[in-house]
Amino acid sequence: MDRKTVRPLSILLTGLFLLAMFMGSGPGLRLINPDPNDVNAAFTTWGLPTIYLWGLCWYAVQITVILVAYFKLWDGEGGDHD
Amino acid sequence: MTEPAHWGSIPYIVVGLYLLMLLVFGYLGYRRSVSNEEDYYLAGRSQGWTVTSLTIMATFFSSFALLGAPGMVYRDGVVFALFSLNVPVAGAAIYIIGSRIRRIGREKGYVTPADMIADYYGSRAGLRLLVALIGILYAVPYVVIQIQAGGILAQQLFPGAAAFENGAVVLALVTMLYIMVGGMRSVAWTDVVQGLLLVGGMLLAGVAVVAVLGGPSSFFKAIAALPPKSLSVPGTTGRWTPEMLFTASVFASLGSMIQPAQWMRFYAARSGAVLRRSALIFSVVLTACFFFGVMLVGLGGQAAYPLVDGAGQYRMDEMGRVLPHAAVGSKASEFDQVLVVILKNHLPELLGPFGVVLAALILVAIMAAAMSTADSNLHALSALLTHDVYDQFVRPQASQVERTWVGRAIIALVTVLALGLVLWGRRSAHNPLGMIVILGLLAIAFSTQLLPLTIDMLFVRRGTRVGAIWGVVTGLVIIFFLSPFFSMMAGDTFKDVLTSMKGMIDVGAWGLGGNVVVFVGVSVWTREKGGLEGGVA
Repeated sequence: MDRKTVRPLSILLTGLFLLAMFMGSGPGLRLINPDPNDVNAAFTTWGLPTIYLWGLCWYAVQITVILVAYFKLWDGEGGDHD
Repeated sequence: MTEPAHWGSIPYIVVGLYLLMLLVFGYLGYRRSVSNEEDYYLAGRSQGWTVTSLTIMATFFSSFALLGAPGMVYRDGVVFALFSLNVPVAGAAIYIIGSRIRRIGREKGYVTPADMIADYYGSRAGLRLLVALIGILYAVPYVVIQIQAGGILAQQLFPGAAAFENGAVVLALVTMLYIMVGGMRSVAWTDVVQGLLLVGGMLLAGVAVVAVLGGPSSFFKAIAALPPKSLSVPGTTGRWTPEMLFTASVFASLGSMIQPAQWMRFYAARSGAVLRRSALIFSVVLTACFFFGVMLVGLGGQAAYPLVDGAGQYRMDEMGRVLPHAAVGSKASEFDQVLVVILKNHLPELLGPFGVVLAALILVAIMAAAMSTADSNLHALSALLTHDVYDQFVRPQASQVERTWVGRAIIALVTVLALGLVLWGRRSAHNPLGMIVILGLLAIAFSTQLLPLTIDMLFVRRGTRVGAIWGVVTGLVIIFFLSPFFSMMAGDTFKDVLTSMKGMIDVGAWGLGGNVVVFVGVSVWTREKGGLEGGVA
């Protein structure tokens, strides 16, 4: 890949990976966290605990980022393709 | 309930075969070895991707993965399952940080992390000794905890009053023997066996617990009926706020990846492509083992052994801490027995003799997790004390053969000391090992203090020697103030402030914050004073 393509892709993948960390096991959890004191709160989605399912989704994002980096960016010596 | 005494000879056969296999691999490593430091500590920098990926995995996961993680989910609920997301961060670090460390290490012939850091910043003694100290603060408690895990497992597998002591002694001595004989090559080859057992054991444990609860449908129905606190953030005890989970996930993964034993595995890799492939395998396989394996054990444990009584009330001790179900343990520190209790009480009943074999295999996998971390840390500790202290300051003129033998003597000495501490702790009324477990959790916080130097050295290249030294010292001091040791020494001084800080984010993150601020500030100041203080020239 040429440098013009590598740099935006690197930034995009880094951003996505950080977003996955922030949302999956960070403050982003507040978006879907059911209130344990609310008697009407739903704690499961499609039969699975909602926050477990949420974590699995962000795991998928992390792995996708690593797979794209593996095939498109990582050149085997710690630098990027250029 | 099936007690180990009624399992017949199966546990003896499984454990005996496992230990024999380790000794054979240790001997094979010895047959291939050459008597010099580079071979003893780095296996001649020749390891391929299979060995590299499995030895990195086996070193990363200790008995905490198979005992501690399910125990934490059992206590706090599904929130701790999200801690699994730290694994892809560690995986990415294997390539992004590890391949650069490997390349520079090979070019300059480095053996330990301190070689690279001290050389880059031009600090012969100060930084070298500080980096060695961080390595020791990380490695020692880990070795002690793993030997202790061997004792706990033997207690579950074998009958007899001295099962704990026998287990701890056998685990320590077998581990010591194969490291002393074959060095890094033996450690890495045995890690391959142990890594495979570990991965298989983590997944099997999850499958076993789902089976115990009647299959996937019944399992998730039982999980959906858990108390609300178990299915939400911050969990049963309120410890895992999103901020705590986030900082612990990020810094635990990075701290574990730049600790000395992993750093030396990067040096030992044959090529950057090896680390590239290892990073991918690590990220995909190990995260899956966590999410679909051991984390389900903790959730299944809550269903099988509820934390609440019929009225929905949690069992508490006199200090107000949540207690496990009486069948799992009687103290707040005994949550991590949940996997062993489930295996022991249900699998043989469910599957008969096959269940006994399965349970014994998973228990051996826990032993493998303990041994693979103990061997890597003992081996790295030997390198730190021999290469960074003995070779540099005691006998610089020592021959290669002498250095290798000093390394072996250090392994024997540290193993015996660690074993003595475990056996003494077992008999002590004050339970000092409880404190060592806390020290184990602090260990990662200590190794995280290498992160600013590593990032600067590999990517930024703006730091100075003085900045690096003061940054690390600041980080270590902050962690000390936030550790239980300061409270033990200073009583209630600053108690409210320190408790509040510890509740906000991970201890390692506080240390890292202070480290970075001082490192950057002093580096800018010393550069402006005109001294290119090492590293940046």
